[in-house]
Amino acid sequence: MKGIFSVLVENRDGVLSAVSGLFARRGFNIDTLAVGETDNHEISSMTITSTGDQRTIDQIEKQLNKNVDVIKVRRLNEAKSVCLEMMLIKVAYNVSNRTSLIELCQLMGASVMKVAPKYLLLEYHSDPESVEDFIKVLKNYGIIEIQRTGTIAMEK
Amino acid sequence: MTGAQAMVRCLQEEGITKVFGYPGVAIAPFYEGLYGSDIEHILVRQEQNAGHAASGYARMSRRPAVCVVTSGPGATNLITALATAYADSIPLIAISGQVSSKLLGRDVFQEADMRGATRSFVKHSYLVKDPDDIPRVFKEAFYIASTGRKGPVLIDIPMDVQQAELRKQFRYPEEVFIRGYKPEIKINPIQLKRVVNLLDQAEKPLICAGGGVILGNGEPVIREFCEKFNIPLVHTMMGMGVLPKKHPLNFGMLGNNGKPYANRAVGRADLLIVVGARIADRAIPKPENLTRRAVIHIDIDTAEIGKNVGPTIPLVGDLREIFALMLDAEISRKDDSWAAELEEIKRNTVDTRVFSDRLVDPNLLVQKLSEKMDEDAVYVADVGQNQLWSADNYIMKEGRFMTTGGMGTMGYSIPAAIGAKLVCPERQTVAVCGDGAFQMSMNELATMRDSNADIRILLVRNRYLGLVREYQHYNYDSHYEGVDLKEWPDYGKIAEAYGIPYSECSSNEALDEALDEFLGGEGPRMLVCEVDSENNVK
Repeated sequence: MKGIFSVLVENRDGVLSAVSGLFARRGFNIDTLAVGETDNHEISSMTITSTGDQRTIDQIEKQLNKNVDVIKVRRLNEAKSVCLEMMLIKVAYNVSNRTSLIELCQLMGASVMKVAPKYLLLEYHSDPESVEDFIKVLKNYGIIEIQRTGTIAMEK
Repeated sequence: MTGAQAMVRCLQEEGITKVFGYPGVAIAPFYEGLYGSDIEHILVRQEQNAGHAASGYARMSRRPAVCVVTSGPGATNLITALATAYADSIPLIAISGQVSSKLLGRDVFQEADMRGATRSFVKHSYLVKDPDDIPRVFKEAFYIASTGRKGPVLIDIPMDVQQAELRKQFRYPEEVFIRGYKPEIKINPIQLKRVVNLLDQAEKPLICAGGGVILGNGEPVIREFCEKFNIPLVHTMMGMGVLPKKHPLNFGMLGNNGKPYANRAVGRADLLIVVGARIADRAIPKPENLTRRAVIHIDIDTAEIGKNVGPTIPLVGDLREIFALMLDAEISRKDDSWAAELEEIKRNTVDTRVFSDRLVDPNLLVQKLSEKMDEDAVYVADVGQNQLWSADNYIMKEGRFMTTGGMGTMGYSIPAAIGAKLVCPERQTVAVCGDGAFQMSMNELATMRDSNADIRILLVRNRYLGLVREYQHYNYDSHYEGVDLKEWPDYGKIAEAYGIPYSECSSNEALDEALDEFLGGEGPRMLVCEVDSENNVK
């Protein structure tokens, strides 16, 4: 099963490594991790997604809660939350497929950030599943480079 | 006031009178602060033992104890002791010197990233970069170490921070405010009611007490509870001492190194009340078997619940509070045939111990020793066969049995016994170790003499790393590799070098006299009992 955790932490040095170290030490998997300051600069917010069985997901929540630098842990239900991920991606094109690529971008709502002689640099954000699907389609053109932010999520 | 002076003041504010340590340049300003203060520094002979001695001290005093090391190798030497304390939930404050904050991260002489290195072995850690943070950090560290599930806390302090003057007036905070740490857990009244109902209905309830009971100072309340409702108890190795061995409701240690009747009690119980135990592999090798009947799991640490076994009812909170509430609850215990049934099993369990007549039998040794020891004596078992013989044969009275159950760190007993003895100099304190563990910690005989911690050291000598040898015997066709300690050293000469009265015993017949001499008189003593290497635990 998938676990989405929204975690408030102290915005201090070493906290990110403490949290990620906790996952490593107990053999938990981090699928995605996104971190940023909140409106209070002393506090950062993390969205962590992980997969595992029920026991693992429960343990992740409990172990996160034990960490002194972790202020609050919330487990989000995917259906009841807005989950978003953003990516930058360079996609190769040639004369024959350029039009179809641009049409695809329009269809998906991806923005073209730069047109280079041999590739387009696209920005795309959506729910994690759509991002995955979009990448699959873009593979047909040839992906040169990809940067993803990881999921951020918020309860509706 | 300098940072170093502030550190000393903080320790005084916490009522610390002794620290265990090993100095170096990066912690030298703190030692300058200690100089002339009323805090006694006990110089160990290797940093790991500063941690173990502090562990013994903390367990005896039931308060956090302090160890101090310098940066780099001094600090990394301490890590094993921190991991040991963490696994056993022992409250320690570890202070490590660090290179100057301006040099951090440049790999200068004796720099080691202690926060990073100890992350999974401490409850929390600090790297202090501003001397004005010292009072808050110390207050928080003591609070974190000693509340909730206890454990070690590291304070890493760069040398320049120790030397710098505080800009503000020193003020030790009275209260702690940590956003992410709220150890006081409100007991869930619905869960409590469900527990009481289950207890009320159960015909064969059994308490399984772990080390958490002792850490939470819960022995008296558990005893009262067992006696009031006539509920039998078994315990883990770390839970030894919750009830005396001869108490009619104590059915011994469970697990693969425990008593058969204790394990049968677990098998027959219709309700298991696990208190302050993690239900790890050594105690219950197949925790999935437990889920077939009702299990109540009481712990201060939410994360322990369901980690190894899914309980029917979890109950999180301070066990003294929980049991005080349960003592007042309406629990009817219709008949007392359950305790009688277990008593019957215990009586009929054949004592399968066959005392070897070659040299000294280790089972008989522990039994006789513990019979002769004072009512409130402290027994510190090391790790290895000696530990298992101790746990199996020790006749627990009203004293303490200490060992490292979680990490199994060899060389624990001597430094920990020194720490324990310094808390209660009047109590008889015995460290029991094998020849492997002794040779890992014999440098601490000097610490023992220096600090007048007159412990008695019993060395169970079989000239092998016995437990590994036994493992190789059963699993690798007796291919003994790397376990032979041969003839070295001459222990009598080692004892003599430290001015410790020494004796040897090599037969069961001579045991009484040897033990009487070992336990009698004043001052430290060392007894080596020769045990046949063919004696296995199993």
